[in-house]
This record gives sequence, C-alpha cells and structure tokens, in this order.
Amino acid sequence: MVITQTTNPSSFSIISTKKIIQMNEVWTSYDSKSYVLKGINLSIDKGTIYSIVGQSGSGKSTLLKLMNGLMTRSKGTIKIDYQTPNMNDKKFKSMMHKIGYIPQSLGLIKNISVLENTLIGALPRLGKIQSLFKMFPEKEIQEAKKILKLVGLLGKEKRKIYMLSGGEKRRVAIARALMQKPTILLADEIVSELDHVTAREIMNLIVDAQKRMNLTAIMVHHDMQLALEYSNRVAVIKAGEKILEIGVEGDKIVDFQTGDLTTQEIMEMYTGESKK
Amino acid sequence: MNQKNNLIVGIIIALVVAASYNVDANPIEFVKGLPNLAIIAEEMTQIDPELFGTAFWSMLETIQMAFIGTIVGVAISLPLSMFAARNLNSKYVYAPVRAILAAIRTFPSILWAILFVIMVGLGPFAGVLAIIMYTVGFVTKLQYEVIETIDADPMDAVNSIGVSKWQLIRYVVLPESAPHLISQLLYMFDYNVRQTSILGLVGAGGIGFYIINYIKFFEYGKAAVFMIVVLIAVLIIDWVSVKIRDKYIIKSQHGMEVTTK
Ligand SMILES: Nc1ncnc2c1ncn2[C@@H]1O[C@H](COP(=O)(O)OP(=O)(O)OP(=O)(O)O)[C@@H](O)[C@H]1O
Ligand SMILES: [Mg+2]
Repeated sequence: MVITQTTNPSSFSIISTKKIIQMNEVWTSYDSKSYVLKGINLSIDKGTIYSIVGQSGSGKSTLLKLMNGLMTRSKGTIKIDYQTPNMNDKKFKSMMHKIGYIPQSLGLIKNISVLENTLIGALPRLGKIQSLFKMFPEKEIQEAKKILKLVGLLGKEKRKIYMLSGGEKRRVAIARALMQKPTILLADEIVSELDHVTAREIMNLIVDAQKRMNLTAIMVHHDMQLALEYSNRVAVIKAGEKILEIGVEGDKIVDFQTGDLTTQEIMEMYTGESKK
Repeated sequence: MNQKNNLIVGIIIALVVAASYNVDANPIEFVKGLPNLAIIAEEMTQIDPELFGTAFWSMLETIQMAFIGTIVGVAISLPLSMFAARNLNSKYVYAPVRAILAAIRTFPSILWAILFVIMVGLGPFAGVLAIIMYTVGFVTKLQYEVIETIDADPMDAVNSIGVSKWQLIRYVVLPESAPHLISQLLYMFDYNVRQTSILGLVGAGGIGFYIINYIKFFEYGKAAVFMIVVLIAVLIIDWVSVKIRDKYIIKSQHGMEVTTK
C-alpha cells in the first residue's frame, strides 16, 4: 500500500497539547469502487472529547473503525499516538489494548453474563492459562464490579445479555470499554436511541471518565445539540467529507472552520440536523 | 416462467424413468413381491419373548457404543472446526483441513466399520471407531458452518481490544456457538444409535449382529424381538432429546429463561 503524504497546510494552530490522533488526506472504501471517506483531515488533542455528526450513511462509523484498525485506509496517513493502525502489527496490537471501542451494534456476547462481558476488557492483562480457564484474578473481578456500579448495573452482574434493556446493554458495552483502562475511547452513537434523561446520564459518565482518566473520547452523535453540549470539538461529515469543524468552550463556539462547502449549504444542513 | 418449470419437471420425470430402467427398478416386481412381505409379517408375529433379555443387553451395548462415539467424535470435532472455519483462518489452514474432512465424509459408517474390523478385529471397539470417524466428519462440518455465521459484530468488538486468537475463540466463538453444539450433540447421538444398530452386520458389535443372523436363518420371529427393542429405544431417545432441546436450547435462544441466580 502506498502512503501518500500530502503536506496540507493544516488549519489547526499548533499548541502544546499532544495530538493523539491525526489523519491526513484519508480516503477509504469497502469495495474499491467508490470511496466512503474522501480526503479526511483531522487532529485530536489528548484528553479532549471530539464528536462526529452527520447524516446516516455519511461515513461516521467508518471513520471510527479507521482509528482502531478494524478498517484500513486506501490513501493518506493515520497516526494514533504516532503509530499507524494495523491489526497485524504487534506494536499496534498492544496499543489496541488501550483503545476502548463501543460499536454502534454494541458487539456484546449474548449468551454470557454482564460480568463476563465486562471482564473481556481485561483479557489483554491475562495470561494464556488464566484466559483459557476463565480464571480472572480477584483484583480484576473487583475492578469490573466497581465499573458496573459506576455505570449503574450493580446487582445485574449475573444476568445474561438477552435479559437486559437497550439502555442497560449500552452500559455493559461502556463497562467493557472502561475495563480496558483506555487512553482512547471510540463510542459510536451510544446515546442515539435513548431518552434525554438516560442519554445525559450516560454522557455524564463518559465526561466523568474522561476527566478522571485523562481519556481522549471520540464520539459519533446523531444529535448536534448533544454533541455541542458534551464536546471540545465537533466535526460534521457529509457524504464522506468533513465539511465543518467547530470548537466549543462552555456554551460558546470559539472556532468555526469550513471545508469545501459554502456557508449557505452548511447552514441548510445544520438546521436540518438540529430539527431531529 | 411456467413453461420453464414444466420443462424442468418433465426432464426430472424422464430422468427417473431412465434411471429406473438402468437399475431394473420394476414396479411390477414390487407388487408381485408383496405376498412375501405378508409371510415375513406373519412369522414376525410369532415372537420369542425369552429373547427380550438378550435384546435388552445388546441394545444397551449399542447405546453405549453410540454414546462413546458421539462424545469422543464431538470432542475431536470442536477443535478441528476452529481450523476449518474461514473467518478464523487463512486459506492455507482451512483448505487442507476441509479436504481431509470431505474425504472422511465420503465413507458411510458401515465402510468405516469394515475398515476398523480389519484393523482392530471383530467387536464393538471397531464399531465405536467407525462412529467416531463418521461423527467427526459431520459434526465438524456442521460446527464450522455455525462458526462462519457467528455475528461479526461481537467478533469485531472483541478483536478491536487486540486479544489473541485463542482468547477470541474462548470468549466469543465458543459461547456464541455453544447452543448449536448441544443441539448437534443430541442430533448426532440420536442418529448414531440408529447407525450403530446396523454395524453388527459387519461384525462391529451392537444389536445388528443378532438381527442379521436371525434374518439369515429365516428366524423372523426372533429378529422381530430385537427390532422391537431398537424401535422402543429409538423412540425413547427421540423423546428425551426433544425434552432436553426444549429445556436448554430453545429457551436460551429466545431469552425465555427468567431465573436470576
Ligand atoms: N461493510 C460494508 N460494506 C460495504 N459498504 C459499507 C459497509 N459498511 C458501510 N458501508 C457503506 O459506507 C457508507 C458509510 O457507512 P457508515 O456506517 O460509516 O455510515 P454512518 O455515518 O455511520 O451511518 P449511520 O448514521 O447510519 O450509522 C454507507 O454508504 C454504507 O452503505
Ligand atoms: Mg454508523
């Protein structure tokens, strides 16, 4: 695979914080016929919350999968903590231990319990024999219980996944990701189908973890309002292109960068999005 | 569309007629033979109750053979299926494993039994080995097909943590395919009991030995005793496996189990 390094004069000002994720002119496709992402540039500061919004099918989930190596890029460069994502690379694999990923479909294992699903996050810390016989150290089990309490699943540890509500399942997926003791968290629409109260509860949980663990969270959202409320920066994707990036501080927009689209087009899209 | 269907049906009927001619399958012979069946049926009614004891013990032997064969066969199939699944291995691993499995499956169990009788001599052990081979050939295929249809989402989610392949198998593949495995085990046991009942034909143990010998000497009444015992045993096993399936598989798949331990 040829990696083309385009020196694109980045619109970001260089500040002292570490850029934990950087993408430069990234293109990708599923079928090598048409591109799903087209020339994505982005740069995420360590310890911040970065949100991605956009219409269905615009390429949000694909963008997240590029960050943990589940997808490979066709063109461009991606650096996650200065490493190129590649699932077959030993060095990146140890990096993956620290990337929590909550897929849109959650990816829980239906037939096992809440506790066991959570403990999967600890697998990288387990030896061969221990993992073969499911011998999790007491310390890890206590840690898992602590996290389950944090996400509000105390007392439901022994339930099988199919006995949980949609919101509870989401909490299990969050717990599994937190169990990894992540430095990066990728969360794909984890609050989209929830009521406002529960959605905020879960978002507060993420913000809390981000502050406590100096986590970098990249979150896909459907709701622009929620994204603005809970992020440092919000990127808007349309048909595979990043058309807008907004910097937020409190309830003020401090930075507003547009891509190729005109302000008129963006405003149309923006109002369409916020009506949802 | 309809025309095409008619043509296909016509061709199939023509093929059946042509093939029947080739193999001498003559319906007239069948009708002529019916009175013979009546004679056998009549002789069968003169059953010999003293033989029920022997029949019971040989049925028990048959069931034990099928049981060992099924359990050992499934135990071998399980790891083998992990190497045969396309979503877990590269082509260089799964292709040869699949080729070997296909070769194993080309033999019916009775041929395996003959082979093992030659290898280890007459008796139930040869039969057990034959059942193991047959079970491995089939359950591995069923199992790798299940593994290949496992939902890709949990696989991706757990893979993204950077776990080893063994951890992936232990924590995703096994739990996700376990209900199917139990169902295959039951199905295979059921099927193996029937199969083992005829392995006696080639001297590989089991109740079939008695049946074939009594039939050979035209003692249909005695053979009938053994056939009745097989019938009863198969019905009981069928009934029990339906119960087990209902209790453990159907419920767990539909999430009907509400006990919280
Ligand atoms: N496995 C796949 N194979 C082929 N095409 C895919 C695959 N996954 C996604 N796509 C296509 O890629 C495009 C982007 O998909 P993606 O899942 O990234 O969208 P999204 O922005 O997350 O949408 P949503 O909000 O509905 O989740 C879509 O057009 C989709 O049809
Ligand atoms: Mg998506």
